[in-house]
Amino acid sequence: MRRLFGVLLAAVVLFAVVSSGCISPGGEEKVTVTFLSTQLNPPEERAFVQEDLLKGFTSETNIEVNFVPISYTDMVTRLEGEMQTGKVTIDVIGDLHGGMDYMASKGWLEDLSTMPKLEGRTFISTFEQYSYIRGQKAYVPWMSATYVMVVNKEAFQYLPKGLTEEDVMKGTEKWTYDALLQWAKNLKEAKGQPELGFPAGPKGLFVRFLHGYIYPSYTGYQAKEFDSPEAVEMWNYLKELWPYVHPSSTTWDAMADPLLKGEVLIAWDHTARIKNAIETKPDQFVVVPVPRGPKGRGFIVVLAGLAIPKGAPHKDEAWKLIDYLTKPDTQVKVLEKVGFFPTVEEASGKLPEGPLKILAEGVQAQASTKDALVVMIPNLGDKGGQFKEYYKQAFERIVLNDEDPATVTKEIKPDLVKLFEDVGVPVP
Amino acid sequence: MERRSLVPYLLILPAFLYLLFFVGYPLVQALYLAFTQNGALSLEVWRRTFSDYYFWSAFKYTILLAGIIVPTQVALAVVLALLMNRVFKGKDAALYALIIPLTISDVAAGLIWYSMLSPYGFINKLLMNLGVISQPIYVFGYEYRMREFFAIVIAELWRSTAIVFVIILAGLQMISKEYIEAAEVFGASYWTRLRRIVLPLLKPSIQSALIIRTLFAMQIFGIVWILAGRDIPVLAGEGYYQLTEIKDAGVASVYALVIAGLSILLGALYIKFLRAEYLEVGE
Repeated sequence: MRRLFGVLLAAVVLFAVVSSGCISPGGEEKVTVTFLSTQLNPPEERAFVQEDLLKGFTSETNIEVNFVPISYTDMVTRLEGEMQTGKVTIDVIGDLHGGMDYMASKGWLEDLSTMPKLEGRTFISTFEQYSYIRGQKAYVPWMSATYVMVVNKEAFQYLPKGLTEEDVMKGTEKWTYDALLQWAKNLKEAKGQPELGFPAGPKGLFVRFLHGYIYPSYTGYQAKEFDSPEAVEMWNYLKELWPYVHPSSTTWDAMADPLLKGEVLIAWDHTARIKNAIETKPDQFVVVPVPRGPKGRGFIVVLAGLAIPKGAPHKDEAWKLIDYLTKPDTQVKVLEKVGFFPTVEEASGKLPEGPLKILAEGVQAQASTKDALVVMIPNLGDKGGQFKEYYKQAFERIVLNDEDPATVTKEIKPDLVKLFEDVGVPVP
Repeated sequence: MERRSLVPYLLILPAFLYLLFFVGYPLVQALYLAFTQNGALSLEVWRRTFSDYYFWSAFKYTILLAGIIVPTQVALAVVLALLMNRVFKGKDAALYALIIPLTISDVAAGLIWYSMLSPYGFINKLLMNLGVISQPIYVFGYEYRMREFFAIVIAELWRSTAIVFVIILAGLQMISKEYIEAAEVFGASYWTRLRRIVLPLLKPSIQSALIIRTLFAMQIFGIVWILAGRDIPVLAGEGYYQLTEIKDAGVASVYALVIAGLSILLGALYIKFLRAEYLEVGE
């Protein structure tokens, strides 16, 4: 009995010693890289990053990563605090271009041009250009997303005169907003109900269409020409289009379901929110560039990047993480799992035939149109909601309540401009 | 003697501390947010709220919804309670069916009705299979705000009439049989008994139900948010929206204070009239 007790005691002590790490099998100390990200914060995306993506990195390099999902405001507050005290704990920052621009202007980001070259990948040139801020290499392009049009192939039977399927697929100069109106008219006549849909519900992203797509296409700017004659023309166009837009649009937050149910044949939405439709019926849908307006083809590119703060404690390990996250294979994995598009050219070649390729090709076609007007979402921090509100309000008053566009835009513009002045961002 | 006088205070202390922390502190914070601008006293936030495009329509719709829902459901609950206040076969089952909505949250009720009324939901499918309609009837969408409004009224009636019904049924069962029997002896008809005895004695219950429901109706939000989004703005919904989407805590506080002010005003009116009624009943 006593002997058994002794054996047990020895076993317990041994277990405690090993598990507490007094005698670790590896012998070397593991480095932990702290990675703050405003992206991939929803629970399922977070799980993918922690359980899958970063596990792969740790097994390759033996570097642990502490992934901290955080809001933009909290991140800036924390970084500012660390910069002031000089005690930096953050190694890698993942954020949208707008946030990077702000942090670079504050001088918080390391110039990455001195770091070793990232082998075996070519960054898409537009993204590469954006990542240089005021002459310094502020970040490495990480992921991108955009909003596109999805067409159910059935709709091609009702194309207006002078517009071919090829025009739409490639985004030629014939694929205009006026052609879209004619097409929507044909569809309503043929089908007996509107077949064009927008995500204009309370959580839908239709407001991005207003400020990032149709506004620049008609006026050349997002907000600068908010009440110009061109803007009034644009609003009148939307008024004319609206009877051919499905009346449930104001209740839809994402277009995948209405497309799958066949409630609409043409829809505009964020790539992540139509992905499901393409995956379910890849033979039924194509992803196409958006139409163009008199001033060009306005569309939003959401670009996320990876940066290293000045004075980061593990700069070299941080660079290894950035290297891993921008490898073509990793980029493909991210596209497959969470639907963000690659920022390196080699990734699309690695895509298997299927729904993701359809998506990626549509996005590629839109990005490479000759008349592309690339729009970045203005970085207004907390005021982003107020910014969207002005466009939503203008839409509700002009299109839904039939108020006069010239009056409404004149009324709202001063507040909109003041918003940019308060934050200290030039009016885009 | 000393000890005994302290006991009640000690007993009430936990509840008092709870209220101080969870009600008092947020209230003070809301007042601070609503009446200051950059740390100085100012009415700027109120100006911003009242000039907000949605404020007056939110105010209008909140009052309108309460004005339609509350009286309708009280009348409905009285009728139901009178029907249920007798012995018949299957009474228990009927009682369960009436009380079930009591256990359902407003968001869940909104979702149930949304899925029933949606274009491809139960009601449309039923009508289409019966051959009554060929195209689904749309209830949701900005163009159909009137339909959305009625969908909210119906869903809210279904959900919150149960509590009024329970209060009134309890009130009915408290009425002494002796009064009724005495009236029968003197040959009073059912209607006379109802008008002269039952309803007057029910007044206190009806009024408690009215107070509870009116105060809650000022906070209507979940059901509206799910069935109509922002097509039909209401005060609580706008407060939520200002805080979460527009990130304007000041304006959100003003919305909250407006709801509180309305509730206090209506509550005070009810209590004033309620007191007079109790004196009459207690003769």
